Parts: sequence; structure tokens; C-alpha cells
Amino acid sequence: MREFWKKLKSVKLAIGLIACIAVGSLLATLVPQGKAAEEYFRIFPKILAELIVQTGLSRYFSSILFLIPVFLFFINLGACTIDRLLRELRKKGKRRHGPDMLHIGLLILIVGGLVSFSGREEGTVRLKAGDAVELPGGETLKLVRFTDERYDNGRPKAWTSVVTIDKEGKAVKPETEIRVNKPLRIGSLTLYQASYASEMELVFAGPSGSETHLAKGDTFKDGQLSAFFMTVEGENTALLMIKGSSHDGLLRVGAEGAKVGGFDVSLGKVLSTGLQAVRDPGYPFVLFALILVGMGTALTFYQKLKDMES
Amino acid sequence: MIGTLAFMGVLGAAIFQIAALFGKSGKPDAVSPWLLAASALLFIGITIERSIQIGFIALTSTYESLMFYSAFIMAVVIWYRLQKKQVYSRFVAFGATMGAVVLAAIASSPLLPKEALPPIPALRSGWLIAHVALSFVGEAFFIVSFVASIAFLATKDEVKRLGYDKLAYTAIAVGYPIFTSGALIFGAIWAEQAWGTWWGWDPKETWALVTWLVYTLYLHVRLILKKKDATPSWIAVIGFLCTVFTFFGVNYLLPGLHSYG
Repeated sequence: MREFWKKLKSVKLAIGLIACIAVGSLLATLVPQGKAAEEYFRIFPKILAELIVQTGLSRYFSSILFLIPVFLFFINLGACTIDRLLRELRKKGKRRHGPDMLHIGLLILIVGGLVSFSGREEGTVRLKAGDAVELPGGETLKLVRFTDERYDNGRPKAWTSVVTIDKEGKAVKPETEIRVNKPLRIGSLTLYQASYASEMELVFAGPSGSETHLAKGDTFKDGQLSAFFMTVEGENTALLMIKGSSHDGLLRVGAEGAKVGGFDVSLGKVLSTGLQAVRDPGYPFVLFALILVGMGTALTFYQKLKDMES
Repeated sequence: MIGTLAFMGVLGAAIFQIAALFGKSGKPDAVSPWLLAASALLFIGITIERSIQIGFIALTSTYESLMFYSAFIMAVVIWYRLQKKQVYSRFVAFGATMGAVVLAAIASSPLLPKEALPPIPALRSGWLIAHVALSFVGEAFFIVSFVASIAFLATKDEVKRLGYDKLAYTAIAVGYPIFTSGALIFGAIWAEQAWGTWWGWDPKETWALVTWLVYTLYLHVRLILKKKDATPSWIAVIGFLCTVFTFFGVNYLLPGLHSYG
């Protein structure tokens, strides 16, 4: 038993496992990950493709090729940590807890990664201004507006969704921004600005200055006039089916616009936002682990360099 | 123009160091630290000017990263020259300076796009700056460990070997926590903020992890082996080659989420 424990906590085993994980990870970057089996047979010679698919190298980081060495490393690191921590605690003076902190951080990181891997839930929702969606916690998220800011040269600068969150009629969050790099956290749920889309719309401007915005599939009605927004042709043409006016039939509206009844019809664009909702039960573990790893690493080498100086 | 001047400066420093390397006095040259300082300041000056121009810290393109990395290697070489705790090796100083020369040469190359472009939304994050800057600072120390390890492997003199081993270890001991926090910790935090996942096994992330594992291996191998053993030196050499592939190889050969980096 003592011999087994000695082998389990040995630095040599740690070295072997670290090398194994490093080499395996390196090889995995040379093989495209997560593709369909046929894709590997198209890219690689048959024998190699067979090997990649059968061994799990095509999904290396969720395969036993990766998980077994990581599991063994976890056991080895756990044993090393217990052994080292006990030795340090027995010391009378000059204790060095940096490596313990770092190792405990790594252990929590592996646990956090596993919790995240097995319990993570995510979904995306596409919203236009004014749209609302119910969140899993019973809150209602409403998109107030989405903006697509550009630099003078046309490069994207910021994509921002302004949302409100209510629950049972009470405001949980007043107007709040969700941007790339600035997610919104509500309890265990995090909302990310993931994408956006731009869709064509038709604007019917009346003589009084009133405006009606029409999305594809909608119908505009005014008295006898009926205009059905059928489809979009190319990037700058909308196809309308008109009834009840002197232009009955199909009408193509381009960038120059058109006159229908007493209305000026022009093309417009409506933006919709793509929000990604993530619930990650591993979040607190990973965050705490990263803090421990950072502090442990800094402390280890600070003490090491101090020792070298003295 | 200023970039070319900075390149000329660091190249001049390398020439002075070669002269000192083969000189009979055995003393380090007096000019190269000044040339390195001037070149590093010029690169920092360009970075500040571009930062004002784009309204964000200019560390988001390959050109900007190369200048920063090169400037920091120069700073490390100057620090190495000024410190008194390690034995000064003209060869190590020259080797590290050559690293800065190569990076400055690539940065000055007309083939590399130099247009100052404001960052796209994904890059507008303070975490990005911490992630990129600290990764390069860590790697600047790794280049010293790389040259010291080459020197270790090239000599049979036991006393010199001990000196090179200590230097390589010290450089890694300083670079490792900085690289860990920059490449892995701040990188993971930024990824969580931007993409909603701590880690995506993107080729760049995986190669950064492989680099970190190789240096972790170095530190553990050095725990159990004697200081005269060549294995840690070989690992330090492999570790630095990993940093080079992570920066250049992954950018051009293995596209992924970091394709703009």
C-alpha cells in the first residue's frame, strides 16, 4: 500500500502524464476537430482516416485518449498535493504554500471543467426591437433596441443590445446594455451578444407623414389598397403583390422606391440581435480555480527567487 | 520610417554585441544597451501614436504585437545587462537580441500590413490587453532561457553549464507566472466574457496550453534531475519553439477563433 501511494504521488508519474497530455493535445491540433467521418476520409488517406475516427482523435478533447490521462493526472496531482501539504504543515518555519495553492487550483479547475462540460446549458434567441422572450427563471427579457456602430471606414465598432428584464410586472433590470465583451448576468444565467442580422423592410410613408414598416410576409392595408410583401430579390429589390390600386399585380421596389396609391414606398433595413444564453454550473469553480492558480504561481516563484537570492 | 529606424537600432546593437563576443577584452560592449533602449522606446512611441490614432491600446494586429514583443525582449536584455545576481553572458545577450532583431525585421517587412485599424468589437476588451501583453512579456523571458539552454548544450565546461542552467531557470521562473497569468488565466477570462466559454480548444489555445505544459515539465524535471543534466535544457528549447509556433505557425497554418491575432 505504501509503495502504491509512493508511486501515485511520484513526480515521475506527473512528468509522464504532463508529457502525454502535451503530445496528445499537440497532435489533436493537426487533425480538424469535430468533423463528420466522411470529411476525414476526404482529407486523409484511408488508413489514417480510419485511425483518426476509430481512436477518437477526431473529437480528441472529449475522448478517452485525453480524458484518461487527465483523470490519472488528477489522481496523481491530488496525491502529490495531500502529501506536500502535510509535509509543509509539519514544518516549524519557512513554509512554502505557493505550489499547494497552485496545485489545489488546478484540481478545482479540472473539477470545474468537468462540471461545466456535463452541466452547461445554452441556447440562442433572435429578437427585433420590441420583441420579448421568457427566460428560464420566469423573467421577461425585452429588446429595447439594437445598434450596429461603425467606424468611419465601415469597420464594425460595437454591437449593442439594450434590454430590459421584468419579473411579475416588476423591473429586475432597467435598460441595460449587452455588448460583445460585456455580457449580462442574471442569477446563474449569462446573456452574450452573439450575432446580429439585417433584414429588408418596406416603409410606407403616407401624405400625412405617417410611416408603416413592413417585414417580409406582412400585408399593408389602407382602404381598398392591399400590398403584400412577398419576397426579396437580390440585395436591393422587394417584390410586392398589389391589389386595390391602379397598379394591381406584381411590383418591384428597388433602391429608388415607388409610389403606391398615395404612399411613397421605400426600402429600409431592420436589425435583429442574436443573444446567447448560457447557464454554466462550473462558472464559480473555474473562476475560483483561476484565481488560485494565478496566486499560487506568483507566490511559488516569488518565494523561489527570494530563496535563490538568499 | 520610425519602425525602420528602430530596426536599424536593434540591428546595430547586435553588431556591437558580435564585436564584443569576438573581442579580446572579454567585456560586454557599452553601446548596445543604449541602442536597444532607443529602439525599444521608438517601438513604444509607435505603439502610443497608433493607440491615440485608433482610440484603443494598439496591441491588436500582428504588426503591433511584433513591435511590443521585440521591445520587451530588448527591455529584458537591458535588465539582464544591469542586474548583478546572474553571471552575464555575452552570448545569451546576443542571442536574445537576435530574437528582437528577427521580430523587428518581420515588423518592418513591407509584406506585413501596417495600417492602423481600430479594433473590431471582439477585440475591444481590457482583458485582451492583459492577455496579449503578459503573454509576450512571459515569452520575452523564455527567449533568454532558450539561448541560455542552447549555450548549456553547446558547452562541456561544467562551471559554465551551471551558470547557464541557473540563468535559464531564473528566466523561466520569472516568465512562467507571467505567461500563466497572461496566456492562460486572462485568456480564459476574456474568452468567457466574449464567447461565453472559458476554453474552446481552438488551435491557438491548445498550443498555448502545450507551451505551458512544456514549461511545467521543465520545472518538474528540474526538481528530480541534477543541474548538470541536459534534459531540462532540451525541454526549455522545445518550450521556446512552441511559443514560436503558437505565434507564427498557428496564425498562418491552423486557423481558428484567434485568426485575427
